[in-house]
Amino acid sequence: MPYKTSSVLDRELKKGSAELLILSLVEDQPRHGYDIGNLIERRSQGNLKFNVASLYPLLYRLERRGWIQGRWVEKAGQRRRRYYRLTAEGKKVLAAQRNSWREFVEAINRITGIEHA
Amino acid sequence: MPDWKDEVRKRLSGLNLAPAHEAEIVEELAQHVEDVYERSIKTGAPAPEAKRIALLELDDDKLRKEIQRSQKPFREQPVPGSGRSNVLADLLHDLRYAARTQVKNPAFTIVAVIALALGIGANTAIFSVVNTVLLRPLPYKDPDRLVLVWEDNTKQGYPRDTPTAANFIDWRDQNQVFEGMAAFTPDNFNLTGIGDPERLQGRRISASVFQLLGVDPQIGRVFTDAEDQPGAQRVVLLSYGLWQRRFGGDPTIVGKALSLNGRSYTVVGVMPASFQFPSSADQVWVPIAFTPEEAADRTTHYLKVLARLKPGVTLSQAQTDMSTIATRLQQQYPQSNTDVGAVVTPLQEYFVGDIKPALLILLGAVALVLLIACANVANLLLARAAVRQKEIAVRVALGARRWRLIRQFLTESVMLSMMGGVVGLVIAYGGLILLRSFIPENISQARQISIDFKVLGFTLFVSVATGVIFGLAPAIQAVRFNQSETLKEGGRDAATGGSGKRLRSLLVMVEVAISLVLLIGAGLLINSFLRLRNVDPGFRVDHLLTMKIVLPMPKYEEAERRSAFYQELVQRVEVLAGVRSAAVTYSEGSSIVIRIEGRPEPAPGEQQPIVVTTIISPEYFDTMGIPLLKGRQLTEQDTRTGPNVVVISETMARRYWPNEDAVGKRIALGPIKTPRDWFQVVGVVKDIRQYGLTIDPEPRMYFSHKQTDFFPPQDLLVRTDVDPASVASTVRNAVWAIDKDQPVSNIETMEEVLTDSIARQRFSMLLLAIFAAVALVLAAVGIYGVMSYSVAQRTHEIGIRMALGAQTGAVLKLAVGYGMKLVLTGIVVGLVAAFALTRVMSTLLFGITATDPTTFTLISLLLVLVAALASYIPARRATKVDPIIALRCE
Repeated sequence: MPYKTSSVLDRELKKGSAELLILSLVEDQPRHGYDIGNLIERRSQGNLKFNVASLYPLLYRLERRGWIQGRWVEKAGQRRRRYYRLTAEGKKVLAAQRNSWREFVEAINRITGIEHA
Repeated sequence: MPDWKDEVRKRLSGLNLAPAHEAEIVEELAQHVEDVYERSIKTGAPAPEAKRIALLELDDDKLRKEIQRSQKPFREQPVPGSGRSNVLADLLHDLRYAARTQVKNPAFTIVAVIALALGIGANTAIFSVVNTVLLRPLPYKDPDRLVLVWEDNTKQGYPRDTPTAANFIDWRDQNQVFEGMAAFTPDNFNLTGIGDPERLQGRRISASVFQLLGVDPQIGRVFTDAEDQPGAQRVVLLSYGLWQRRFGGDPTIVGKALSLNGRSYTVVGVMPASFQFPSSADQVWVPIAFTPEEAADRTTHYLKVLARLKPGVTLSQAQTDMSTIATRLQQQYPQSNTDVGAVVTPLQEYFVGDIKPALLILLGAVALVLLIACANVANLLLARAAVRQKEIAVRVALGARRWRLIRQFLTESVMLSMMGGVVGLVIAYGGLILLRSFIPENISQARQISIDFKVLGFTLFVSVATGVIFGLAPAIQAVRFNQSETLKEGGRDAATGGSGKRLRSLLVMVEVAISLVLLIGAGLLINSFLRLRNVDPGFRVDHLLTMKIVLPMPKYEEAERRSAFYQELVQRVEVLAGVRSAAVTYSEGSSIVIRIEGRPEPAPGEQQPIVVTTIISPEYFDTMGIPLLKGRQLTEQDTRTGPNVVVISETMARRYWPNEDAVGKRIALGPIKTPRDWFQVVGVVKDIRQYGLTIDPEPRMYFSHKQTDFFPPQDLLVRTDVDPASVASTVRNAVWAIDKDQPVSNIETMEEVLTDSIARQRFSMLLLAIFAAVALVLAAVGIYGVMSYSVAQRTHEIGIRMALGAQTGAVLKLAVGYGMKLVLTGIVVGLVAAFALTRVMSTLLFGITATDPTTFTLISLLLVLVAALASYIPARRATKVDPIIALRCE
């Protein structure tokens, strides 16, 4: 299905969901920034894309809030990379955000009639 | 390959990041850009294109802005979903807003607070009475397990009779359900030998009473079982009040001797200040110590019996056990015990007495008053909500949620009701001081009525509930409207037309209906009370002084000595200035079984002729003003040497000699051993009502104390020409001139005695009348408010009508008609409700039925009148409107 929405809605949706996306991706294992950006792009089949200017400031913000924690990791034969992992506080936030996102989506679906989309 | 780090660093310059931190960011971001570059190269992009794509990632302006933002310190934000601080912040905001709203409309606030304060105050006051009298546990250990046991003499007309000593002893020894049983009976004592002689109210009690109640003395000890035996050393326990008043709280009082009724008693202890049993007027207790004769007596019913249930035993189990014993005693003593059962009742019930229905009705009444106050304030709020439509519309347009607005409204109304609650507490406090002086003395714990934490909790609850009740309707009403309509200039308000008006009309109808119920209730009580006041007691109440003069026994053991005292007393008092006549009497009225000459003795269990006995001096009938109907009065010549005579009441004559002349007939009070045991009826006098005006006169007979004084006279009656209270002290001095140790007590005018006897009725009537009056005022204010508002809304329309030539009368009719329609509907509803509800108060009524048509009609008319006035005044104002101004005001 062609993805076609107004640019305003697109921007707002992305802003509203970015935190949730990042937190979800680092839930199971620590990941570095490039990995996170790639996964978002791949899994959304190109519909969502974060460039450096939007991804990293957000990572820093989440880190400052204590929801994720970044750490430099060196692996043999590679450059060192900064890996981010979910903190205990971040876990709570993630659960809460998932909930409200689910409620939000359900509400939107009920209203717009895309019940079984 | 480009120097990515350099590219990134260039873009971050001027952000003043800490160097080490900047280096980390640069390293991380450069890596990412490089990864992107390499990916593009891998997919076959030429180097310059790959570089362009990679640098696009950095999105120059955005990067600087976002990195800078991300470095700001993080302000603690609530975890989404937990939301507690939000509610708190909202509440604080709502409170501030509500406070501002109240301050902005002082008149509105004051009117609402006063209405609520009246309602809440009345509720608080009555609840504190209920709390103390009905809810507070008795001041004894485990009071739930304390019971009283009565004889059931329903056949003789006494479903709760006072047991005989022999029955009590059998019950005590045979039961298996009580930890213990104790008997008590009132007795009075003349305290002499220290200061003025004084008559003390007290009790003879079983030694085990204190143990059953679980109360320890303040000092000393309670009675031992050995002291509860005939012939034991005489001992006495004092009340705290008596100890303080007469002995200055002397800590060495224990072991000292007192002279009571001329005998010496040793003080063994003093009970604590909080102790009362059974009455707060009791000042001394002595052991009951049954003599062998008393212990065998199955005919004198004079005891009350206290018992404590064993743990785990229920009231009905106790009842079953007692009934079994009673049945056994019936078979064992058929002569005395036929048809005599036993009844177990909670002690609480005895103390609460017959005030309970009155209190519950009053509690219901004040709840209704509060409902009216709620309706009034709800009406005020509805009117204000109409004015505030624009404010609300703006807030909704700005994104306020409805629930948030409702919460705001509720905060305002609860704040109002809390203010009402605070003022109400003050009103209740003042009301209680008044109430305490009205509440009948005989209600236990009446003096302890106070505002405690339970009452405060009740007030808080009522205040909040009130706020929610009267706030909810206007709140919902206020947010249920068409927003865009309201925002338009001159748009009609939602609350002025349609549902708002309907709601306000409904509230007025409800107010009218509730007031009618209250007014009818009060009307019925007032009506009863007036009838009660008009009951003929059978004697002249005015200018009559009474006092108690009880001769102590060992000193006045011989009848001659007593007769001489009374004779001298009457002679001395009769010559005092202002005194017309004087008499002595024993009128506490024990009932005695009589024998009528020529009639067979009734079989066991059959109704026996029982007659109230009064012992009098010959001047009694003249002094009391009791008219002689037939025969003659008792005279000075009716003495122990002359023939025995008796004067009887008309009811007694009618009951036992229905178709004969009673004069000349003979009766006896016990077995006939000598001819002198017969008493001849020489006269018939009019009935008197001595036990209270609500009770029908009972058969009564009068003996001269000079002939027989098995009940020695105790009361002095003085008929005066002047204010009876003014001769009290000279009469007392006359007593002391004969015997300086003789106490005189209970000096009262007969009017006071009668007033006391209807104190309970006066109490209920007065309170209900006050509440009904408050209800009437509140309802009138409510009607007036709604009418004023509706007339104000219709100024424009009225102006047009007047301009088109409508007469004043027609406009008045239009406006008043609307109000009266509401009022009449309310009255119809109220009449139906009153018809159903007043039945619950039938026990409080006297001489009229709970659906007395006169009261119903008169009260309805009164309410119509008040309502008509309340709608007339605003309507009248409407007709004064200058049509030009009315038309211009749009």
